Amino acid sequence: MTKYKKTIIGSSLLLLLLLMSNFYPAYGPKDYNHQVLVKNEQGVITGRAPFPPSEKHLLGTNRNGEDIHWLLLFGAKFTLISTFGVAILRVLIGGLLGIFLSIWAPFLKSYVKDFFLPFRYIPLILIGIILMIPIVGDFNDVSISSIITYQIIILVFIGVPSVIIFASDVTDELLKTSFVQSSILMGAGKFHLIKRHLLPHLRSYSVLFTVQQLISTLHITMQLGLFGMFLGGRNRAGIFGIDDPDNPPPHPATITNEWAGLIGQNFNEFLLAPWTIFSPVIGFFIVIAIVNMIKKELEENMSGLQVVKKREKKKKISKDESRSFVKRGLFEFVQKL
Amino acid sequence: MKRFLRNIIRLVLIIAGFLFIFKLPSLLGIGKDHVVFNFETFWLGVRSDFQSLFRIKDAAYLSFFKQLNIAESYQYSITILFFSLIFIIFMGLVFAVLVILAPEKLRNSLKSGINFFEAVPDLLVIFLFQFFVIILYKKTGIKFLQLYGVFGAKPYFVPIITVSFLPLFLLIQFLIKVITDEQSQQYVLYAKAKGIGRLRTLLLHIMRNIFPLSVLQLRTIVWVLLSNIYLVEYLFNINGFTQQFFKIISMGGDFVSLVVCLLMFSIPLLVIEAAGWTISKLIRGKERVSI
Repeated sequence: MTKYKKTIIGSSLLLLLLLMSNFYPAYGPKDYNHQVLVKNEQGVITGRAPFPPSEKHLLGTNRNGEDIHWLLLFGAKFTLISTFGVAILRVLIGGLLGIFLSIWAPFLKSYVKDFFLPFRYIPLILIGIILMIPIVGDFNDVSISSIITYQIIILVFIGVPSVIIFASDVTDELLKTSFVQSSILMGAGKFHLIKRHLLPHLRSYSVLFTVQQLISTLHITMQLGLFGMFLGGRNRAGIFGIDDPDNPPPHPATITNEWAGLIGQNFNEFLLAPWTIFSPVIGFFIVIAIVNMIKKELEENMSGLQVVKKREKKKKISKDESRSFVKRGLFEFVQKL
Repeated sequence: MKRFLRNIIRLVLIIAGFLFIFKLPSLLGIGKDHVVFNFETFWLGVRSDFQSLFRIKDAAYLSFFKQLNIAESYQYSITILFFSLIFIIFMGLVFAVLVILAPEKLRNSLKSGINFFEAVPDLLVIFLFQFFVIILYKKTGIKFLQLYGVFGAKPYFVPIITVSFLPLFLLIQFLIKVITDEQSQQYVLYAKAKGIGRLRTLLLHIMRNIFPLSVLQLRTIVWVLLSNIYLVEYLFNINGFTQQFFKIISMGGDFVSLVVCLLMFSIPLLVIEAAGWTISKLIRGKERVSI
């Protein structure tokens, strides 16, 4: 039977990270071991932040003298919760719209595809930047919650079109199967169809969709962070040592210390302190690798009852099958009368 | 007639889609503590942008676009894309054939190695390459790999390698999967029975049969390449097409310039799609004749 060993291990690892991050105030140092200057016994300054990784600072420190591993641990919850929420919202909204599209309004499908044409030809990161720059591209004084709401709306919006099309494709495939066809012939209503025939199949698909969307959301937040679109907007506090107090525009820093923001804020220091960048990027990599492992296993488990795979096989033997397709077409014709 | 009407509707929808998507920020304003919808400004913005689409005779039409030196930077970016694509196709074929011909134990471990790269984020790869080149420079003191595009320099080698690293693994993975599927076909067995060597079957017969599928897959490759080029040009500070694009956004260029710029970005995708379409049509046509 199907096995979910990797899925369980992977999701419990992510859950552990989330819990550790959530209870950070209970055990972690509040100022992330803030320490800018290091003095020896005579009081002579022997070093200043950023410090490279060592026994004292596991992943090194950034220019503010804060330990990166504490920062990462603290910021993990924002990254995880927001990306996960965005992925679930994308699948929920896109899936519902997709089912609606192929059951009630199949004639609209090609028009919907046309309307969302830009998403087929323009990389998502560019659309994301264009949409976010007016709000997040600069310092502003609105509350964090509204900025985050806006960003989540944009992130969800970016992904929804592809989910709509994909969900609608899967539903179309399912509608063609013989059990659905016979059910329609026996007079099943549309809600009955959804409840009895589509949902049991779509449930497993939706888990897979969510995991795929989670990966894409992780990628996109990471890249947006590089361009300075931090989740939660920019912090005026800035970074010690770079900002000129006389020159008003401070170097943008992230408010929430979420991982993408950590990449973006330290990006200028790549030459001096590569560890400030590599730690959050590798953090992202580990999370993506875990999610990818889950995805792989889910895909393998599903391939037994997968419709998409069947379609691929059909293409190969399409010559012989073409006659049965004609028959199926006739059925559709009768059903519409 | 019906088809004509349909095409008009499609055109209108495509323009509407562009307008809606790029005007979304004016629909969703942010208030002090919640997101507010202001339909009025949204509608005004959409209307003015729509009108600006048709003011071709106006002197200001695309004026912003003409100021930037588009041609040169576009040529540069497309050159990078083109060479990376060729590099990817060549290396992908070589590696895929090598993996397929390898003994079974080695093949499985190679496969899982290639699958591993699926999860690597593109940023990590870019940063690692950057780090490697800098370390190389620091250790040897000789600057034989040009990294940054400052002072009008136009590096080719490092960007091409960096950009094509991940798509290469994507293509290899795809090719291995398709070839393995194809090997279970009857004609492969027949060729084997006739005494044709494995390499010959693979190169002559299987390759010919997986060709159309591979062309379709190239769209994904170009897609990944495009977004990678965008990141690399930003990170290496190369004066490519993306910098011009960023100028348009940050200096508040008009809607038409933005859309034209974005469409120029997607020309390679259109070319690949057209190629895939023609090839699939050609092959389908042949099959119909043969039946």
